[in-house]
Amino acid sequence: MSAAPTGALFVSPPVEPAVDWLRALPVLVALPAVAILLWGLVRGRLPPAVAVAALVLPAAAYGLGMLMVMEKSKDVHFCGSCHVMTPIAESLHATDGTSLAAIHYTRGLVPTAEACYTCHSGYGIWGTFSAKTAGVVHMLRAATGRYVLPIELNGTFDINSCLGCHAGAASFRAVAEHQDPDLQAALLSRTMSCTGACHPAAHPEAALTGGGAAS
Amino acid sequence: MMRVACLLALVALAVLIIAAVHLDGATATLFSFVGIPALVAAMGLYVLQRWRAGAFHWTGNSRPSTR
Repeated sequence: MSAAPTGALFVSPPVEPAVDWLRALPVLVALPAVAILLWGLVRGRLPPAVAVAALVLPAAAYGLGMLMVMEKSKDVHFCGSCHVMTPIAESLHATDGTSLAAIHYTRGLVPTAEACYTCHSGYGIWGTFSAKTAGVVHMLRAATGRYVLPIELNGTFDINSCLGCHAGAASFRAVAEHQDPDLQAALLSRTMSCTGACHPAAHPEAALTGGGAAS
Repeated sequence: MMRVACLLALVALAVLIIAAVHLDGATATLFSFVGIPALVAAMGLYVLQRWRAGAFHWTGNSRPSTR
């Protein structure tokens, strides 16, 4: 067997729709708006009914565009497209077991297409909301260069993101250390983290400092 | 003013189409920090222009209630 097998079975998600409507709809709504606005630009005024369309169509296109950006920005490739995040996204493929993120990614323990989003967003609508608002701040910092290497998590990692999958797992419950009441209290009060003492660091240090990932 | 509003809205839509064709960190940043403000400014200018033309003024000629 080759080191990197390829084939349709290894693509996630396995079935892509023939038309990506999430991308197509904003463009389809934007195109007639562009025609109307060009007309308005040339003439300097628009008939009232057309002016309403010139107001509504761009707003609708942007509403659909926001849905597209919200959904597509969950992708690992999107997260890795900013220079500061590229080494971290690349480090997900490491198979040496020294990074918790890579262990989850390479073993398929998280959805591989949305691995970053899965662990870095909380549960429920407020989890999505906080992840997206944090993402806007990240974009602003990346665009203005206002970040410091090595990059660090803003605050403590939300252990609920781990427990959402692990808390009910028999293998997790069977570990003697996990049954220790003191350790449970320390973890739940955020005075102790899963990584560092017991489990490998979430991301390799080299990737956090903007360098290449260990393979 | 109408031409400026149209131009700003066209800039916003161009950014939207670029983001839809190729979404990455750079185009998402453009979408958030150029496209959305340009669209809001265009809509604001249009409403201001309509207001100055008397569109939203109380004239007292509204249709009377039938009740």
